[in-house]
Amino acid sequence: MMPIISTYNLSKRFGNTYGVKDVNLCVEEGEIFGFLGPNGAGKTTTLKMLLGLTRPSRGQVKMFGKDLTTNQHWILSQTGSLIESPSYYEHLTGLENLRIIQKLRNVPDKNISEVLKIVRLEKQKDKKVREYSLGMKQRLGLAMALLSFPKLLILDEPTNGLDPAGIGEIRELIKSLPRRFGMTVLISSHLLSEIEQIATAVGIIHHGELLYQGSMASLKSKSEPAIILKTRNNLLAKEILTAYGLTPLLKENSLALENVSDDEVAAANKLLISRDIDVLRIEEHKKTLENIFLELTGKEKCL
Amino acid sequence: MIRCIAAEWMKLKHSRIWLILIILPIISVLIGSANFFMNQGVLQNEWYSLWSQVSLFYGEFFFPLLIAICCAYVWRLEHFNHNWYMIMTAPVKRTSIFIAKIAVVSLLLFFVQGFFFILYIIAGNIIGLSTEIPGELVGWFLRGWMASITIGTLQLALSMRFRSFALPIGIGLCATIFGLAMYIAELGMFFPHSLLTIGMGVLSQSGLSSFSEHLQFLITNILYILVIGLLATNWLRRTDIVA
Repeated sequence: MMPIISTYNLSKRFGNTYGVKDVNLCVEEGEIFGFLGPNGAGKTTTLKMLLGLTRPSRGQVKMFGKDLTTNQHWILSQTGSLIESPSYYEHLTGLENLRIIQKLRNVPDKNISEVLKIVRLEKQKDKKVREYSLGMKQRLGLAMALLSFPKLLILDEPTNGLDPAGIGEIRELIKSLPRRFGMTVLISSHLLSEIEQIATAVGIIHHGELLYQGSMASLKSKSEPAIILKTRNNLLAKEILTAYGLTPLLKENSLALENVSDDEVAAANKLLISRDIDVLRIEEHKKTLENIFLELTGKEKCL
Repeated sequence: MIRCIAAEWMKLKHSRIWLILIILPIISVLIGSANFFMNQGVLQNEWYSLWSQVSLFYGEFFFPLLIAICCAYVWRLEHFNHNWYMIMTAPVKRTSIFIAKIAVVSLLLFFVQGFFFILYIIAGNIIGLSTEIPGELVGWFLRGWMASITIGTLQLALSMRFRSFALPIGIGLCATIFGLAMYIAELGMFFPHSLLTIGMGVLSQSGLSSFSEHLQFLITNILYILVIGLLATNWLRRTDIVA
């Protein structure tokens, strides 16, 4: 199956530093692709390059199998987007704002009433956007992105600034889009919990580089529990266990064993004792997705 | 393209720009008429004298100012609230977006121009001018409008480029003064703001006599619009959008 979005060594240089470096993104049809990274990691810059708002310094963007630079017009007609925060003309009503997009995108009247219903703004449609709350503006922005019922939806931090109830509501809405309208969704966030609840695939970006890309399930499988061993002589214990065929990782004052069976743990314990190394603790540590994320981005210390 | 223009027009709803478009011509005619009324001893050429006063304030100050404000307003809509992203991710040509703005501004300026001329005729009637209304009026109207589109294109390009509302207006006012200098130096045919002076018969009502002068006037205007438009749309196509 042809991917909806694919980029090849996509890079953007700002002066001497790379905002985005050699990103090879691949988003398949029908996915909710979570684009995850700390603030300033290059998420928005990448999304802006996908939409032709920013010109790449290097690399290529293909959407729907077509090159972006030569098919921008057509690609944009198939894509709805919400970048950074919603766009709106504040002196106009919500409905009038949608009418402007309707004109630009040449879509029928019924789409307007439909999206208003989807984001539940029917009652406020005749109010000036200036008087909208942040949550309502966000929902209007979503309505604008949805107006043409595009095949691809690109949402940059769509739940920014919303209250928990609003976040939940938008999340459920986004989750339902592939099923209801056959859309593919690319959503960015700096919140792991956000992506975890919504995405079927995930890409993790940090310092402009794509560190991980794959299905949510395979990311979660990385969070299998690890056995932590604490001994009187970790260095020696590591040597012994490595010679035995295990792959212990030396942590600060313990050893970590990943993907080991109960029998292997028992054997390792016996072996260490037989070599006269006191085993102080054997613990099971469950790695959370959070740990994996932090490990990948190396951000344990500065969050 | 038509869709872009329609969308552009819709953005002006509920907007207070109408106030500026109405008030500035009124002020020009009021000041000009008062000036004429006070100095009737010197200004004895009836409609022509009234025009010399009224058009002076309008053509050399309030109209260029109005054009600059109007263009700055049209882009301010996009500079605010991330609207750059919205228009730039719409499936329309970037060139169309700029041309649509020229079209809408031109239409507004046509109304302003018409309104000003009606005010002039009303003022003349109130003052009680007895002669016929000058036949040159149609020429002043159309040539003035033409030159105002040229100035509008220049101002649109500036206001697109600079996020500041006031900066392009300031540049516009400087250009008006520079235009006067160009006019006095008899290079008026080569600068947008002095084209307005010439086109509307502001400082000399003898105006453009020959066909070739008219042609030169038209060609200079069109050249300015094309060159500025090309530079502006080229920038628009190449730039990284920051909203």
